[in-house]
Amino acid sequence: MQTAAERLQATGTANALEIRGVSRYFGALAALSDVSLSIKPGERRAVLGSNGAGKTTLFNCISGDFPPTSGSIRFFGEDITDFPPHERIRRGLRRTYQISLLFGGLSVIDNVYLACRGVSRGRFSLIRPRRNEALMQSASDLVNAVHLTEIQDQPVSELSYGQQRQLEVALALSGAPRFILFDEPAAGLSPAERSELIEILTSLPEHIGYIIIEHDMDVALRVVESVTMMHNGRIFKEGKPEEIESDREVQELYLGGGHG
Amino acid sequence: MSRFIERHPAWTFVFFVLAILLLLLVFAVWPPGLVAVMGKKKIFLNALLNGITLGALYFLVASGFTLIFGLMRNVNLAHGSLYLLGGYVGYAAVELTGVWFLGFVAAFIIVAIIGVVLQVVVFRRMEGEDLRQTLVTIGISIVLADLMLWYWGGDFYQILTPDWLSGPVVTPIISVLKRSTGDPIYIKYPTVRLVILAASIVIGVGMWLLLNKTRIGMLIRAGVDDRDMLAANGVNVQLIFVVVFAFGAGLAGVAGVVGGTFQSLAPGEDIRYLLASLVVVIVGGMGSIPGAALGAVIIGLAEQFGSVYMPTYSVVGTFLIMVLVLAFRPQGLLSMR
Amino acid sequence: MALLDQTPANAGAAQEGTSRVGQWLARVHPAAWLVVVLLITLPLFANSFILIDIFGWAMILGMIALSLMFLAGYGGMVSLVQMSVAALAGYMVAIFGNSAASEISLGWPWWATLPVAIIIAVLFGTISGALAVRTEGIYTIMITLAIAAAFFYFTRQNYTIFNGFSGFNSLKPPEIFGINWRDHVPFYYLILFWAAVSYLVVIYVSRSPFGLALQGIRDNPRRMEALGFHVTAHRVAAYTFAALIAAIAGILLSWFSNQISPGTAGIGPVIDILVIAVVGGLSRPIGPFIGALVYVLLRTFSLDVLEAVGLDGSRFKLMIGLGFLLIVFFSPDGLLGLWERWKGYMARSRNEFDPLGGGER
Repeated sequence: MQTAAERLQATGTANALEIRGVSRYFGALAALSDVSLSIKPGERRAVLGSNGAGKTTLFNCISGDFPPTSGSIRFFGEDITDFPPHERIRRGLRRTYQISLLFGGLSVIDNVYLACRGVSRGRFSLIRPRRNEALMQSASDLVNAVHLTEIQDQPVSELSYGQQRQLEVALALSGAPRFILFDEPAAGLSPAERSELIEILTSLPEHIGYIIIEHDMDVALRVVESVTMMHNGRIFKEGKPEEIESDREVQELYLGGGHG
Repeated sequence: MSRFIERHPAWTFVFFVLAILLLLLVFAVWPPGLVAVMGKKKIFLNALLNGITLGALYFLVASGFTLIFGLMRNVNLAHGSLYLLGGYVGYAAVELTGVWFLGFVAAFIIVAIIGVVLQVVVFRRMEGEDLRQTLVTIGISIVLADLMLWYWGGDFYQILTPDWLSGPVVTPIISVLKRSTGDPIYIKYPTVRLVILAASIVIGVGMWLLLNKTRIGMLIRAGVDDRDMLAANGVNVQLIFVVVFAFGAGLAGVAGVVGGTFQSLAPGEDIRYLLASLVVVIVGGMGSIPGAALGAVIIGLAEQFGSVYMPTYSVVGTFLIMVLVLAFRPQGLLSMR
Repeated sequence: MALLDQTPANAGAAQEGTSRVGQWLARVHPAAWLVVVLLITLPLFANSFILIDIFGWAMILGMIALSLMFLAGYGGMVSLVQMSVAALAGYMVAIFGNSAASEISLGWPWWATLPVAIIIAVLFGTISGALAVRTEGIYTIMITLAIAAAFFYFTRQNYTIFNGFSGFNSLKPPEIFGINWRDHVPFYYLILFWAAVSYLVVIYVSRSPFGLALQGIRDNPRRMEALGFHVTAHRVAAYTFAALIAAIAGILLSWFSNQISPGTAGIGPVIDILVIAVVGGLSRPIGPFIGALVYVLLRTFSLDVLEAVGLDGSRFKLMIGLGFLLIVFFSPDGLLGLWERWKGYMARSRNEFDPLGGGER
């Protein structure tokens, strides 16, 4: 166990995310093999690759939904490889999900409020939150940040698909995130909703870094400063967006493959 | 089995010792010291045999319940009503024809038909809606209970056993030695209970073989694991469901005739046997036939030994077993999950 | 629409100054005010039969069903043990306080008896919950039903504490503050007070962090776990909270019927509570009370009605069962659901004629 001072020091010097030799096997099938990745604090990166390249498995290993079979993951210098998901959330790591895992019976604001509450004390409180309470305030700020204020009292099950994706982003921003994993946030969105998403992502506070998995290159390459290409569970290429875009190998494998 | 011995040599030894002890308790003549502690050997043996035969009855009821649950995730809380209805139908058939065996046939067929109706009308329409299925079957059991009360009244009925089955059989187990001559006195036990025990074992082993060794059994078990895969392979899943449901319901009907023979039929027995099934499958493990057998024997023995050795707290014993299982192995002793 | 609207109004910043209570009261539906006034003034024009045997009984059963609704509607856990919790509280009042079985009853004063009774019943509810939450969904019903059955058989067999088959008679509310609470009007107000308190507390708690978390767990336990919530602890705490309501109702029930016996929490009454909650509607706290009133009315008058139309009066259970079946088959959300659907239908047909008229949803 580190002392607080050590951890603070580590935060200052270490990478936001330091992945070393991570592999994940499902039976004999290697979904990830020997993946290493370093991301600086505040860095924004896209992970690209065809379906089955291991992108979502990588997210699951980082977020703790499935621990890796081997390898280590450090978050701001702290080894989180064996932490349960909620311990990672407490340290400021967030993720969004491809399939909707929202609380359908609750309103938009309550969804965000729960996400804020989860990382704070008083989860068993029987006292209703007041409208001006700090947590409620930050919840409604987040709802505002993802442009859902007008429908904040509607049950989530009545929201459109695009609105639910926006809410996913708000949940990921709750608490004090230091790093976010976005799992295909633009999938299934209309062009208008896409540009709204780009605006939300680019206007995030500078200290929040993220990794984004995205098929839509227009979205992915506009919101990141570096790109990692994956193929068959391995890292295949790393570079700046414009390098990747013009790379011949990448184009053959990914962009040229008739992918939308 | 051999794997278990390899993995847990200590436990195997403990089980082995316990089995020897039990055999000694059953077959040896009890020394006076033991009689002073545990009472007469005859009482112990009667509790043991009654517990096992009661377990056989519980197994018949619970195996249908657990089969239906195991394959279709349908919780049929009207299962107790099917049991009681089977008993009444069997009684009527025996009264009408005078043939004991026909009681089983009639009960199986009629209750199986009701099972088919239930499956088609209720469960198929509410696939995946666990809570609604449960609520509907509770409603059905309320309605059936009142209809049966209306028709058969509140009296006790007992199905008469045929002559060749009535009366006791002498077992090769010595009760005591005659004090004067030293001749052994053997335990006598009602024939019909032993026959029912044997029949339950045959049915249980048959079901296990059917599920584990035949093609249709493979299909059923595959359906438990992955319904869509089964459907994709061109198997008529709905037909399998109907057949299994009918069979499970029919078993409950047969159990009703058994229960009506060595106990009695009356309003309220439906709930009693529903609860017994619940406890048996909770203890044994949902959806597992061997689990139902193990759970049934444990609960049957606990009830009988409880009522002999600590009459006021026999229910507590049964309940305690359930609580312990839930606390340490919530999925049941022999769960499929 | 529930009598009390649960969703917070879209209070803009401008309204922030006005009193919260005032805002809250303004949101109460006019029909709700009518019901409140009716319930408070009922003793002025109703006889003791209507007062106690209809409304009093309905409110007590409604409270027990409310504790089930809280678990099922907000927590997704259908617990059949609530009636047993209520009965245990009644038993404890008889055992620690006064009853006709003077060789068992300890004769403690009410201020000692009542808290102890409630604490013991809540403990029982919590432990049952702790066992039930080890499994999920459909298993909960089966396990709680088994626990309820064990409670019934145990109280029937045990004579040293629970006085076996006959239970305890002559249970009466104590005289407190010089008021004889066994008189009809005070007893009615006592029931009304506690029913109203439980109803309002459930509504309040449903929007508290605890209540919201419970609903989150109902919708998606895995994600709640990932967000840092302790799912099991929340579920068990929900059982504790529900048991508190059931325990208070159980004490009132024992005073209402002057007795407590194994039959109070037999399998029949245990299922009846489920029927009441489901028929009323599990989505809102008012549902259980509506269900309870319907149940009590049916129970009280079905004999006369059945005989009046020339049927056998003893087929009451059949009627309840068939009614329950119809509701479950056609309206999973009970009478509330039917009402809501009818309102939706009316709103839609209105909108067809009036393009400017906006429906509520």
